[in-house]
Amino acid sequence: MLERMEPLDEDARLMLRYRDGDTAAFSALYSRHKGPLYRYLLRQVRNAVLAADLFQEVWSHVVATRARYEARAKFATYLFHIAHNCTIDSFRRDLRAKRSSRSDEADAQALEPEVPEYQRPDGIAEFAEQQSALLAALGALPHEQREAFLLHEETGLTIEEIARVTAVGLETVKSRLRYAIRKLKKSLLPAHLPGVQPLRAARDLKADRLNAPA
Amino acid sequence: MHPPDELDDYLRGGTPLSRQYQSESAPAPPHALDRRVLKASRQAHDRSPCLAPLAFAASVLLSMALVLAIVFGPQTVKHGNDAPRLVRTAARADTALRLYSSDPLRVRAPAAWLADIAAMRRAGHTREADAEFRRFRSAYPGYSTGAPANPP
Repeated sequence: MLERMEPLDEDARLMLRYRDGDTAAFSALYSRHKGPLYRYLLRQVRNAVLAADLFQEVWSHVVATRARYEARAKFATYLFHIAHNCTIDSFRRDLRAKRSSRSDEADAQALEPEVPEYQRPDGIAEFAEQQSALLAALGALPHEQREAFLLHEETGLTIEEIARVTAVGLETVKSRLRYAIRKLKKSLLPAHLPGVQPLRAARDLKADRLNAPA
Repeated sequence: MHPPDELDDYLRGGTPLSRQYQSESAPAPPHALDRRVLKASRQAHDRSPCLAPLAFAASVLLSMALVLAIVFGPQTVKHGNDAPRLVRTAARADTALRLYSSDPLRVRAPAAWLADIAAMRRAGHTREADAEFRRFRSAYPGYSTGAPANPP
C-alpha cells in the first residue's frame, strides 16, 4: 500500500538521517510525532496503559526496521501504518483473551465486588478523556470511523493517505469519514454549529418579547 | 443519503467540528515514556555500528568451511583407505614380537639385535627371545654372543 513515490518530506529526511546513524534526527522526528501518535492510540484503544504499550511498540518497530526504511511516502503515512497494524493486533489479542476467559470472568464476577470504571487504575485516564461530549461521541464511534477521523485531525492526512495507512479503498475511507462527521456533529453544542447560534438568538429574542411585561 | 458537500467542507478544514476537536485537551505521552523511547533509539545505533556486515561475513565463511569439511574432510580419505589399513593391521599382528626379519637384506647389526633379545628376555618373553635368538644365529652363525642373549 506504500508503493507510490512522493517528494521527500522533512520527516522522511530526518528518518533517513537516523537510519544513517544520526540519533539527533530521531529526537526531532519523535518530538514532531509523539503527540499525534499518542492521542491516536489513546483514543483508539481508550486505555492509557495499553496506549503507552502500543506507543512504545510502534517506535520500537521504527527503530528496529530503520535499516530497511525507504522514503516511498510521507513519514506520517509510514508511522501511522505501523500504528494501525499494532492497534489491530492489539484488538485481536484482546478479543482472543476475552473469548478464552469468558467463563473464568463469570466465576470471578460472582466473587469480586463491582468497581466503577472510573475508579479502576486503567480507567482513570480513559474517564478523563471522555469528559467532553465530543470525545464521548468519538469514543462511541466504530473504531474504523474513529480511526479515519483521528488520522485526519491528528496528522492532516488526506483521504488517499488514510486509505494507504488503513489498507482500504478511497470510497471506504470517504464513507467512514462521512459517518464519523455526521455522528460527531450531533454531539456539538448548538453554539458550535454555523447558523444555529443566530436562529437560537432570534428565537430567544422573540420569546423575550412575548414574555416582556406590557 | 449524505449532503454532497459535507465531506468536502470538512476536508477543506476550519469547520466547527475540527475547531472543537482541536480545542479539546491534548494529552501527551508521559516523560518516562519519552526517555525510554529516546534511549532505545540511541542504544540501537550504539550497539551495532558495523556488526551486521561482520556477522554476515562470518556466517558465510563458517558455511563455506563446513561445506569444504564435508566434501574434502578426513571421513572421505578414511573411507577410501579402509581395506589397506585392515591388511596392514593384520600383518602387524602376525609379527607383533618379531623384532627383525630373517631376510638378509633387512637384517640389523648383531650387537643391537642381541641387545633387543636381552631386553625381551628381561621383559619375560622368554619363548619369543629364544626364537629370535635362533633367527639371530641363522643370520650370524659365527657371531660370539654374551651371556644375556644366550638361551638357557
